[in-house]
This record gives sequence, structure tokens and C-alpha cells, in this order.
Amino acid sequence: MSVDETEPAAVGELPGRRRLTVLAVGVVFWAWLLARWAYHNAVLDRVFGALGAPDLLRSEVPVRNREPWLPPEPFASAADAVASLGLPEVATGWLVWLLDLVAFAIESAPALAEGAYVTVYLTVASMLLGLVVAVPLSVARVYGGTALSWLSLAYTELIRGTPLLAQLFLLYYGLPLAGAIDSVDLVGSGSVPGAAVFVAIVGFTINSSAYQSEYIRSALQSVDEDQLVAARSVGLSKWAGIRHVVLPQGLRYAIPGWTNEFVYLIKYSALAAFITVSELFGRADIIASDTFRTTDIYVIVAVFYLALVLTTALAMERVSTAVAIPGVGQHEGDR
Amino acid sequence: MSLLRFENVSKSYGDEEVLHDVSFELDAGDVEVIVGPSGSGKSTLLRCVNRLTEIDDGAIYLDGEDVHAMDENALRRRVGMVFQDFNLFAHRTARGNVTLGLTEVLGLSEREATERAEQYLQRVGVADQAEAYPAELSGGQKQRVGIARALAMDPDLILFDEPTSALDPELVGEVLGVMRDLADDGMTMLAVTHEMGFARSVASRLTFLEDGRIVERGPPERLFEQPDHDRTREFLGGLTDLHR
Repeated sequence: MSVDETEPAAVGELPGRRRLTVLAVGVVFWAWLLARWAYHNAVLDRVFGALGAPDLLRSEVPVRNREPWLPPEPFASAADAVASLGLPEVATGWLVWLLDLVAFAIESAPALAEGAYVTVYLTVASMLLGLVVAVPLSVARVYGGTALSWLSLAYTELIRGTPLLAQLFLLYYGLPLAGAIDSVDLVGSGSVPGAAVFVAIVGFTINSSAYQSEYIRSALQSVDEDQLVAARSVGLSKWAGIRHVVLPQGLRYAIPGWTNEFVYLIKYSALAAFITVSELFGRADIIASDTFRTTDIYVIVAVFYLALVLTTALAMERVSTAVAIPGVGQHEGDR
Repeated sequence: MSLLRFENVSKSYGDEEVLHDVSFELDAGDVEVIVGPSGSGKSTLLRCVNRLTEIDDGAIYLDGEDVHAMDENALRRRVGMVFQDFNLFAHRTARGNVTLGLTEVLGLSEREATERAEQYLQRVGVADQAEAYPAELSGGQKQRVGIARALAMDPDLILFDEPTSALDPELVGEVLGVMRDLADDGMTMLAVTHEMGFARSVASRLTFLEDGRIVERGPPERLFEQPDHDRTREFLGGLTDLHR
């Protein structure tokens, strides 16, 4: 298959050098992010302490007081220096802004790293739990007979037909769910997040399960009906045939759609900030109200989201290739 | 006692009657070939045996047991089926196609199933393709895997639904060869096929089906040489010319 150099179909298909650049930037970003997460991880800190290792980690530092690992000052003074050259604003304005932005990004990075941590586990947990709900939903929709199929359809349409924010508000403020979760001893103590995070996971799980089940439903329907007939002709029950023959094929067909939903959820997870969860967007919001640099912080946080989304897309391409079977799913055209 | 017996079987789809009062029986070791124009009900007849299609009237007995009273999965364990379009499980290797029924239906261990699958793939001559996926096999290889899949379940009877119709002409021979070997080994077969050479040399009985009725049934030589009905002569003559 030849790839048009000017229009790569996906990040993973970028030609050689550009692909390497993207990967190198990605590796640096993730190395920094993972190091940040480890540096402030309470569990890791306790394990290290118990092992008698030197006290290197700083899990006790509140998010607001965390220090960046690069000095922002050089960029800030460079910005000042350029500004003081007295050149026309049109010529140097963008450079001053950019240098200032870099300094600001370095200062906000520790808090944003913490926010990204919450965003990542919020999204990954909700996607996986959502998948667990979505598979039976979609099977019920396609193979469940009238009652089950209608039930599944009703759930899907109800969830897809109402705003996610409204769903989160209903769960968090409308139902006694948060209180119930809070009454569990562990919640909100030590490294266990507060009730709002759990409510957000419940909300996103419900919401994404509806979308995921739609993707999986259409994937199941694209599996040749004769596949199930063949399974039944060998003596497998309908459910065994679905499990062993239809789902392994259907789920492979569903990977592109599922990736799409994953990418959406990374961005929609910003809505968790509205029920007090300090995920990536929430952190940016706090910084914005502390510094009044609203535009700047949203530009910086956009870069974080972009990095998460591109990583997901790349990772899912890998998954898709790893589970590819000749003749099944998107690689059908290859031979 | 006959292995398979159709007793006044009728089947309609809506207003259209596809099988009308069909009765015949088959002994163990028999090879029955069914021919007929398209839409004559041949495939439906096969599918009624393993209840992929349910009949409206009459009864079908397998080894004296009314198939309608049997658990359908237990019935299908005893009746293999080979499809025109192969219907191999697209996500499983040739070997995996054979093992699925062995592990999930017969309850064999993964290892026993693999051994048995290898054995049957060997028997149909595709042992060297055990690791290949259906998309990587030729039509003839696919169909031989399909036969191995049915055969490995150790069925009482195998149904063949136009097993060579989707094949390129040069691949038909290898599949017919396997079927011929099966017949020689005494496997009971009920086959819808227009391979007249095969019917003539292998079938113990030939049935000519038209508009859901058995027009004529008997030893292939008699149907070819001196049929009772002009319609049989006309149809078989046409087929033979076609395949000359």
C-alpha cells in the first residue's frame, strides 16, 4: 500500500523523519510526565520509605506548591530583553508572547502534570468499564430478541440523547451517590481520590458505554451472518457462537470506532471539572483564576490534550496491528 | 434401520412451498446425491436435517430418533455440514477452525483437540496449512478445511451443500477427491452437487428434486440411462452436457 506523503492517514503512517520527530517529542513528554507522577506519588513514596531508600520523592507537597524542574526565569528575562529592544510591536510581539508563554508553561507544568494524571486514569478506567458494559449491551441489541434489544436501544438512546454535563450534574448533585461513596472509609484519604472522581468515573462509564455499544453493534452487524450459522452447525449454542466466533471478529472491526470514542472521552473528561474534579482542565481553570492568564493557560493545556490524544491514536494503531488477522477487519484490503 | 429418514416432510416460506411431502431414507454408509434446478428446495432439504431450518410438516428421523425432539446442539454434533461458501471462521487458523467444536462442543482439552485437528487436516491434505488463516488459503484448501471441521466431530452423517460450486474449475478435483475418499471409508453423505461425474461414480442413490418434490430417485446409472420421467432425462442431460 502506498501512502501519499502529503496526507498521512494517521500519525503512525507519517514518513520516516517526521515520524521520528513525533516519536522523540512524545518520548520526552511521557518520560517527563511519568517522572512527575512518580515524584509526587504517595504510594511509591511510602514503598520507598519502607524499603529504607533515601527520601527522594515529594508526595507531601501540595499541588500548588510544586516546583518545576526547569527554571522559567531565562525565558521570562529573554522575553523582557526582546521587549526592551524597542522594536515595533508587530515585529517582536509574537516572540515576546511566545517566550513568556514558555516561562508560564514551565511554571504551570507541575500542576498540569497532576491534572493529566487524573485525566488519564479517569479516561482509561471509564473506557474499560464502559467496554465491559457496552459488549453485553451491543450483543443484546443485535441478538437479544425483542425485549432485550429494546431495552438496550432505550438505554443507548437515553444516554446519547442527553447532555453529558447534565448526566454528571444529576449523578453528583441530584443523587445521593457522592454521599454514599464518601461514607466509604478509604475514599478521599491518602492516595485514594475523593467521591467526585468516582462519580465522574461512573458518569463517564455510563455515557461512553452507550457510545461504545453503538460502535460495537455496527461492528457485530458487519460480521457475516454465515459465521454464526457455521458455528451453530458444529453444535455450538447461539451464545457460544457469539462468544467464540462473532465477538472475536466484531471487536476487531470495532477498533477504529472504539479509538474514536476513546479520543472523544479524553476531551469530554474535561467536564469532570464541573463536578469539582481537578483533572487537566480543572487544574488549568485553577491556574487561570490564580494568574488571570486565561488565554495562555488554555493554549498550554490544549497542548497537553493534543499529546494525550495523539498518544492514544498511536497506541490504538499498535493494538490494531497486534491483533490483526488476515481477512478480518480493517486490514482486509491488504491481500 | 435406516440412518436418516424423511417422512412426508413439507416446508413453506410464506406462501411458497419449498418442500412438498418429501419422503426417503438413507442407510449408514450411503452416499446420496441430490440434484435439481435452482430454487427446487435442495439446500432447504439439507438444512432441515440439522434444523438450521425447521420443517412445517412431517418428520425427520436420525437413527430412529425424531430430530425435532432432540436438543439441536446434540443433533448438530452428530450431523456435520459443509457449505458452498466454506463459512470457515475467519478469525481462526485452519487448525483453529477444526478445534473450536472439539473443545467447545465435545469438551476435549486444547491439546487433545489440537492433535485430533492435525490428524484430520492431514487426512484432507492440508496439514501444512494448519497455521494459515482462511484468507490465506485457496478455495480448494478452504473447502478441505471445512470438511475436516465437520469430520473431526465424528458425525453420523455429513451434509454437503454444493461444496464445489464456489470453486474455480481447477480446484474442484481436490475437493471431490476428499469426498470420494470419505465415501470409500464408509461415511454417510447427503450431498447437493451438480458434479455428475461424482454422482455417477460415487453415489449410491441419486435424487432429482424439482419444485420441492422428489421427481425421481434411484441408482445413478438408472437415472442417467433409463429414467422414468422425461423431465429427469432433460435435466440430467443438460447437466452432463454442461460438465462434459
